[in-house]
Amino acid sequence: MRYLLRRLGFFVLTLWAAMTLNFFIPRMMPGSPEQALRDRFSKGGNIVSPEQLRTVLAEFGFDPGKNLLLQYIEYLKAMVTGHWGVSIGSSLGVPVTTLIGSALPWTLGLVGITTVLAFALGTLIGTISGWRRGGLIDGIVPPVFIVTSALPYFWVALLFISLFAIGDHAILPNDFNYDQGLTPGFNGEFILSVLKHGILPAATILITAVGGWILTMRNNMITTLAEDYVRMARAKGIPNRRIMFGYAGRNAFLPNLSGFAMSLGFVISGTILVEYVFNYPGLGYMFYNATVSTDYPLLQALFLLVTLAVLICVLLCDFAVFLLDPRARTKG
Amino acid sequence: MRGITRIAVAAIAVGALTAGCGGGDKPIGSGASSGNPSSSTSSGGSTGQYKKGGTVTIANVGGQTWPCQFNPFNPSVNGVAGGFVYEPLTFVNVLKAGATTPMLATDFAWSPKKDSIVFTIRDGVKWSDGQPFSADDVVYTFNLMKAQPALDIYALWTGAGLTSVTAAGNKVTLKFKGAAEPYFFNFANQVDIVPKHIWSTGEAASKPATWADPKPVGTGPYTVESCTPNNISYAANANYWQPGKPYIQKVQYPAYLDNNPANLDLASGKAQWGGQYIPNIDKFYKSKAPENNYWFPPTANVALVPNNDPSRPATSKLAVRQALAYAIDREQVSKIGESGYQPAANQTGVVTPTFDKYFDKDALTTAGYDKPNVEKAKQLLQSAGYSSSNPLKLSVITVTGYTDWDASLAVIKQNLAAVGIELSVQDLQQQSYNQKLYTGDYDLAYSSLSGGPTPYYELRQLLYSKNTAPIGKQANSNYSRYSNPEVDKLFDQYASADPDTQVKLIKQISSFMIKDVPLIPTTESVDWYQYNTKDIEGWPTQDNPYAQPAPYNIPDAGQVLTNLYSKSAQK
Repeated sequence: MRYLLRRLGFFVLTLWAAMTLNFFIPRMMPGSPEQALRDRFSKGGNIVSPEQLRTVLAEFGFDPGKNLLLQYIEYLKAMVTGHWGVSIGSSLGVPVTTLIGSALPWTLGLVGITTVLAFALGTLIGTISGWRRGGLIDGIVPPVFIVTSALPYFWVALLFISLFAIGDHAILPNDFNYDQGLTPGFNGEFILSVLKHGILPAATILITAVGGWILTMRNNMITTLAEDYVRMARAKGIPNRRIMFGYAGRNAFLPNLSGFAMSLGFVISGTILVEYVFNYPGLGYMFYNATVSTDYPLLQALFLLVTLAVLICVLLCDFAVFLLDPRARTKG
Repeated sequence: MRGITRIAVAAIAVGALTAGCGGGDKPIGSGASSGNPSSSTSSGGSTGQYKKGGTVTIANVGGQTWPCQFNPFNPSVNGVAGGFVYEPLTFVNVLKAGATTPMLATDFAWSPKKDSIVFTIRDGVKWSDGQPFSADDVVYTFNLMKAQPALDIYALWTGAGLTSVTAAGNKVTLKFKGAAEPYFFNFANQVDIVPKHIWSTGEAASKPATWADPKPVGTGPYTVESCTPNNISYAANANYWQPGKPYIQKVQYPAYLDNNPANLDLASGKAQWGGQYIPNIDKFYKSKAPENNYWFPPTANVALVPNNDPSRPATSKLAVRQALAYAIDREQVSKIGESGYQPAANQTGVVTPTFDKYFDKDALTTAGYDKPNVEKAKQLLQSAGYSSSNPLKLSVITVTGYTDWDASLAVIKQNLAAVGIELSVQDLQQQSYNQKLYTGDYDLAYSSLSGGPTPYYELRQLLYSKNTAPIGKQANSNYSRYSNPEVDKLFDQYASADPDTQVKLIKQISSFMIKDVPLIPTTESVDWYQYNTKDIEGWPTQDNPYAQPAPYNIPDAGQVLTNLYSKSAQK
């Protein structure tokens, strides 16, 4: 039990540290919201004074002159209570929660599902090819996927677009998350459109992500298979399938788990490049945009989400290890 | 990928030009002939009535999803409300040297000293909700900006010296502290008139600056039919005051985050109206369909900005700046750096052919700046004390990701190496670049500002001493720290001068560009504009530049939209 409590304590401490960094790092970046705003609406103009910019920002709830410590305390309070304020960047005045709310489902849907899928597929293929080391599957699948996982997202995405989305025989859309003419709603046409628009970006992520999981799982599998308890299980005549998944797989899987937890956490930040290329309006792009326009409230909220997601996933992973691995229990 | 961001920023910047209306085609005092804008633009835009129908899809990279806010006073979103839904009093055409087209005002007249102006407000205009529009709405709009400083985004009350706005019948009078003609462009062309009956109640009245205005009521050709983060769908305004217009019944404005998808949609014809940089445009866009067209009218300069402040021993020397100006082969920069999309600029700072009548070609030739002169550049450097044993080393700041600028600077670097100047290029992230540029922490900067209806606007930003600041303090737009009382005097005379004198004044000002070389224009920045004529006609073209053609130009987009028509709907 002490193990779990210690993990929980660690969680709270990390969260606080991360939130503090989230507050100070954007403020140490070059530029300021005033400058970003100035760029946006008076690049050619010599008439918009700094006071004018401050008035506009103050109107939207940001006071750049305020004491930094005071700002920090207010920030902590706002983060905890969920009052995340309004954007002071390129979506000036839109509540941060609205912005995130409109982008989150798309990123979770696209990147979340594909991440889980990539992990599940990669683990399965890795287990099998590790089990049948030197076999037909082991000879073909891992090398192929290791090559594809080394390809840059961006390039794969562009390749897919040029193969499937442009030209005279375009079969799949190259941009947006659904057909622009449709109104979102639970009907067949809309769902089909969402699925169609998701195929290419999802395939891009899948193809570039799955190789890593295959490789680590296969290698873990090979070392585990050499362990005595596996040989023991074979000697006892336990069915192969049970040894593969229940004995070797279960242990080989453990080191991969924390990697998976991390990657789940980073689902929130999306995959900026994929969202960029496919014009998919998710959180990854929002991150980029918020950084460019020094949008403190949006940046803070997004960072908080990423931090929370990573930490929670790691915490859950710790619990899972606690359940799966007897050694973790005895140590605690 | 980041070059795109620049275009997006530039897009917004172009919409927020500085000040004033210049001596246009028409004498300024007389305003414009009353009547429909259609008659003023009939020089080519639309010659008759067209049947209604058709859809236009705009592919223009805004670099963000739509916030679905249409408050025209919010600088982040006014590009989707102005021109579409809200309209100004008068349209000022930058491409026709500030020629005016009456919109919500049928006429205007300046006082002799140009310190007050009377607008005649158009009769018979209705808001899109059916309520009548009147002079009261105009007065309300301007006074709202006085009461709420956050709304006064063109600083009319604080900077331009506006003192009162009053109505008498259908006449609205704006009074200023001094001659105010240079601000005409702002108050007549850029301020969107909003309805008093909507804005004086509820949330609009209590928080006008932050109100989202999700269902805007305007006088413009379109109303917002629906809006999602992905797409804004506009429908024709049935109450529109220009009879028979708009012809196009629907406008789709999808939110593109990046150039690639927008370029693809333009090339395939899925979208018909574009406003961005497309690399290798002839192959990627033009060759895809005979109906795909593009036109890039130049409107301002891209320049090498030397730091004129005495704290910079090299660039503050006139001989060094002259050497730079002689050494650079602008044609080569244009061809190699900008693929020829941006034409070569000239040392007078006057953008040609857009502002040809202000351009003093003889002065340029006399000074020898019409072509590169390596020998002269070498001599000047020698006179400034530099030689092969003591070479001049300079660094130039630019923004990382602006690939066309990088290519241009590579050419410039070669040009300068030929005369013995070692140039090192510093690619900086946008915000760091801005910081250095604004505070004067550089030798040379590669930079571009937006223009205005005459060269006055850009030159004033660049050269007027009130727009600069000491090193370490943020300068408004005169980043080169140039300050010359004689030049200031010329700028001051411009506001109350008659059109002919204004042309002379600009020629005089540009003579100082040659004499003092405060900065070195290299190429001319352009409006990016692609259009597809498969179904839609009525586009602005080089022969008929009735408005700035890129969709991000506000209120110009409104002019374009009221002139477009669908060919298939005519059958």
